[in-house]
Amino acid sequence: MLLFDIVLPGLVLGGMYALIALGLTLQYGVARVMNLSYGESLVAAAFGALSLYTGLGLSPLAALLLAVPFAFLLNWLLYRFLLERLMRRGKDRSAQEIDSILVTFGVLFVIQGIMLVAFGGQYYSYSYLSIAVVVLGSTLAVNRLVALLFAAGIGIAVYIALTRTRMGTAARAIAVDANAARLVGIDVSSLSALVFACGGGLVAVGGVLISMFLTFNASMGVVFTMKALVVVIMGGVGNVMGALVAGLILGIVETAVARLVDPGLTLAATYALFLAVLLIRPTGLFGRAPS
Amino acid sequence: MGRTMILGWCVGLALAAAAIAYPLYANGYYLALGISILYFTILATAWAMFSGPTRYISLATVAFFGLGAYTAAVLGETMPWPVVLLAAAVLGALVAAITGLSTLRLSGIYFVIFSFGLAELIRQLVIWYEVNVHKSVGRYLFSALTQDVLYWQLLGLMTLVFVAGWLLGRSRYGLALRAIGADETAAGHSGIDATRVKLGVFMLSSVFMSVTGAVMAPRWTYIDPSIAFNPMISFQVVIMALLGGAGSLFGPVLGVVPLVLLFEVLTATLPNHFSILLGAIFVLIVMMLPKGVIGLVETWWCAARTDGAAPVRNESGPLLVVDGVGKSFSGLRAVDQVSFEVARGEIVGIIGPNGSGKTTLLNMLSGALLPSSGTIRFGDVMINGLRPYRIARLGLARTFQLVRVMSDLTVAENVAAALLFGAAPPVSGNTTETSRRLLDAVGLGAMRDTPAGELTYIDQKRLELARALALEPRLVLLDEWLAGLNPSELETGIALIAKLRDGGMTIIMVEHVMDAIRALCSHCIVMNAGSVIARGVPDEVLSDPKVVAAYLGDDDA
Repeated sequence: MLLFDIVLPGLVLGGMYALIALGLTLQYGVARVMNLSYGESLVAAAFGALSLYTGLGLSPLAALLLAVPFAFLLNWLLYRFLLERLMRRGKDRSAQEIDSILVTFGVLFVIQGIMLVAFGGQYYSYSYLSIAVVVLGSTLAVNRLVALLFAAGIGIAVYIALTRTRMGTAARAIAVDANAARLVGIDVSSLSALVFACGGGLVAVGGVLISMFLTFNASMGVVFTMKALVVVIMGGVGNVMGALVAGLILGIVETAVARLVDPGLTLAATYALFLAVLLIRPTGLFGRAPS
Repeated sequence: MGRTMILGWCVGLALAAAAIAYPLYANGYYLALGISILYFTILATAWAMFSGPTRYISLATVAFFGLGAYTAAVLGETMPWPVVLLAAAVLGALVAAITGLSTLRLSGIYFVIFSFGLAELIRQLVIWYEVNVHKSVGRYLFSALTQDVLYWQLLGLMTLVFVAGWLLGRSRYGLALRAIGADETAAGHSGIDATRVKLGVFMLSSVFMSVTGAVMAPRWTYIDPSIAFNPMISFQVVIMALLGGAGSLFGPVLGVVPLVLLFEVLTATLPNHFSILLGAIFVLIVMMLPKGVIGLVETWWCAARTDGAAPVRNESGPLLVVDGVGKSFSGLRAVDQVSFEVARGEIVGIIGPNGSGKTTLLNMLSGALLPSSGTIRFGDVMINGLRPYRIARLGLARTFQLVRVMSDLTVAENVAAALLFGAAPPVSGNTTETSRRLLDAVGLGAMRDTPAGELTYIDQKRLELARALALEPRLVLLDEWLAGLNPSELETGIALIAKLRDGGMTIIMVEHVMDAIRALCSHCIVMNAGSVIARGVPDEVLSDPKVVAAYLGDDDA
């Protein structure tokens, strides 16, 4: 049935989008760094998983144990040595955002350059857990379902961490107003660095998991960055549950366009959806309206 | 004409002659280098024209460049060359208009994000078109134009982009752009139609980019989407403009020349590590040289051209009629059914405890908020639903409770922005004189050239008043303008407002300083929880038991 053929694969694709957007929810939504090198970090993690799998025979799920702490450390260093200075220099939030966009734009080309040197421009893929299962008449691959489960699990864990813990509350306070957070005794720079680094860890999770079923090359990071941005803004900046739902919506819309219109126009559909959200509800589907 | 000036002209003319004659004595390699410098100069200057003053960083240079190149590839074989260039310009303007109309109304960050993805979007659409309509990706472009001609076309285009940038900088739109970059809300309330100014300049800059793409297209012979839409070009343009300094017309050139030479060396010696080094250089530039080598933005602009006379206005009846105005924020009625009239030359006070809806009411009068119900008539125009800049131009000016000055602009420029976009733009040359008079009136005469961000809080409030007055308003809204002043400053402030009234100005003031209300207002309105609970002469109103209860609470509270 056509409807199931769109909805189920759409949900699975959407789960992947939610997964790749979770890290950006933390980095942009909470730490307020608009990270343009996001997609490149994701692809770098995918290459890492590929190398571990083909070189050492390490399964991608085990690779997570290596990739996540490593990405956490790298992102923490990136924040401490580059971004923190910009955060201190910027007069207001928009100046900080512009500066962080520019610096991460530079970082994008550094990461991409390193990957091009190491892997060249060709496409890579490997096969892991690509077992077909039939759900309600649609054929789905197990590895994609694993990614969907991870997305839901991590999304809920991040949501609970942000709303139910002391640290999470402090992080949300920074997202609302860093100066006010400072006044109530929150160490803004170390906590922001921590949140940014956690976001980096989630990027690595996304990258490793999508490498199981996606074909990727060194210069396709921009597509992931844009999709993650669309999901984050659609869901409402800093809203983890919103990002999950927005990811699923995006997945269904893209699958529908690919099935019913033309697979070459999925990116155009993404942008159209993005613009529609921005024009109708600039605070996102679940963001609070500005007063 | 002084001797140095004659010398300057001679040197300039000699340089121009050398630039024009360059292809006659440069060999292939040096000609190619000259072409690279020229086309990056055009792109970086066009980029800085829009993104420099507004700080709307556009990452979409290659989207327009590639569009132009592709237009040339598609039409180049069949159409005469000038038609091809014109088609590229029109297409660039069209795409810029569509992109701009949908994203420039939003805050800067969304524009940046969208521009980041725009090149990829257009690239995929072009691929889709080529696969489905043209049935093959990639085109050959054989052109009879030599490299010399290509060079001269670029030289002409570069001259055009500098002339356009120079004219823009001299016009009031140049100042408007910088005002938008400094504080878009304040710019709107100074009478600037921010969206239109941004859109116009964005289109202009995009046209230059797409024509450059068309001119450059014959250089490749074979064009496919990955050549025409190479994101590296956007990146290089941003680096060059930022290194040179995006805030001034000739700043980007200072970045283009050294970086083109550096790129030449890098691609020759380390072709595989080019992108890594480029990224690292860029990070360094952003960290170390936030304003580029040209340093601080110089304060330049001259008196602008003028247009139009002041519109004829209906001078009878009350100046402002507010009728049944209300505003709800999802269930919370911040202002409920408020009606009042303000006569010409009157000072009306609006008082009430915090949270009673006073600022919301002012925001509706000045257009910052849209009323949920009711009507507002100003003179003979219904202004509910008009955008802030329209209301400002009709002659209704305001100050903000939390001051909003455009902090990077000087004190004089803050006032000038409002002067040039107000109801009646002054005749040429008058701007400086008028802004001096206004600044003297509020006591800021000596600080004309100080950046507004460096003023103390009190002085920023004075500046806001001067900026409001520069619109030559018929009605001024003062939102707690006297708050936070010390007793002697308060006295000066009250005297200043009284002087405005004596000059025939109509004023609505929201204030907690009751002495000022008593001294200045002929009439006042008391609000509590969104509604008017009392109105009349200040002394009577302030002793009304309902008003006392609203401020101090009931006996049993």
